[in-house]
Amino acid sequence: MTSPVSHNGIITVPATTDHLHEIREFLRARIRAAGFSEFEENGIVLAVDEACSNLIRHAYHNDPTQSVEVALVIDPDVVTVSISDTATPFDPNSAQVPDMPTYLQERRNGGLGILIMRRVMDAIDYVPCGPTTNRNMLVLTKRRTA
Amino acid sequence: MNQFTAVTQQDERGICCIDLAGYLDAHTATELESIINTVITDGCRRIVVNFADLEYISSAGLGVFMVFIESVRADGGDIKLAAMKPKVFTVFDLLGFPVLFEIYPTVEEAKQAFPSLDA
Repeated sequence: MTSPVSHNGIITVPATTDHLHEIREFLRARIRAAGFSEFEENGIVLAVDEACSNLIRHAYHNDPTQSVEVALVIDPDVVTVSISDTATPFDPNSAQVPDMPTYLQERRNGGLGILIMRRVMDAIDYVPCGPTTNRNMLVLTKRRTA
Repeated sequence: MNQFTAVTQQDERGICCIDLAGYLDAHTATELESIINTVITDGCRRIVVNFADLEYISSAGLGVFMVFIESVRADGGDIKLAAMKPKVFTVFDLLGFPVLFEIYPTVEEAKQAFPSLDA
């Protein structure tokens, strides 16, 4: 009996926006190989990109001496992406997201990443650093729909 | 790796078409912002953005268009969007952006939507 092929993995990149494409490519190849739809793949990649962009820009201020670690676990019907960092803890579940009709009417800019994460993913969990770990962990979960 | 390019050309009707290609994210959005800023500074207010070769957009990319739309329309112009791949349109649609921006199937249709300067 052969073992199923694992599409799991971890990527660590410097905390600068020029490395975002490496995270996207890492996720795409594995999610596609695991047989998820292109629609699901695009949504997960977008949500993780938004999470990492926020982390790099707002928490790390594009500091190349810092790093972002993205771990991917693919179960038969669930994709779980865990993003860990050592920045000041920030739980995206505590953030207020914009009301889009008002946002568009007022021609606002920025602050859409968390809303995208919520609209695309099935669950967003956050575990701040604490006595047992110095890393914060943001866990994004997406269930297979087809 | 060249992740993103944006090439501008102006036609005989004074419409500036910006052809996008590649990946528009938090890293490359600043490049597009700079290019649109130059187009506007050079006096163009009739702008079509050609998405035909754009493979990816994140919220940072959407934000670039929000920066300029108000001032361009205030001057009697517009930024019209055209030829999006479905996966790119999905991101616009996810947040309701089609309410604010005119999005056309082709660049030519977007250009035709501008009123004639002779009128």
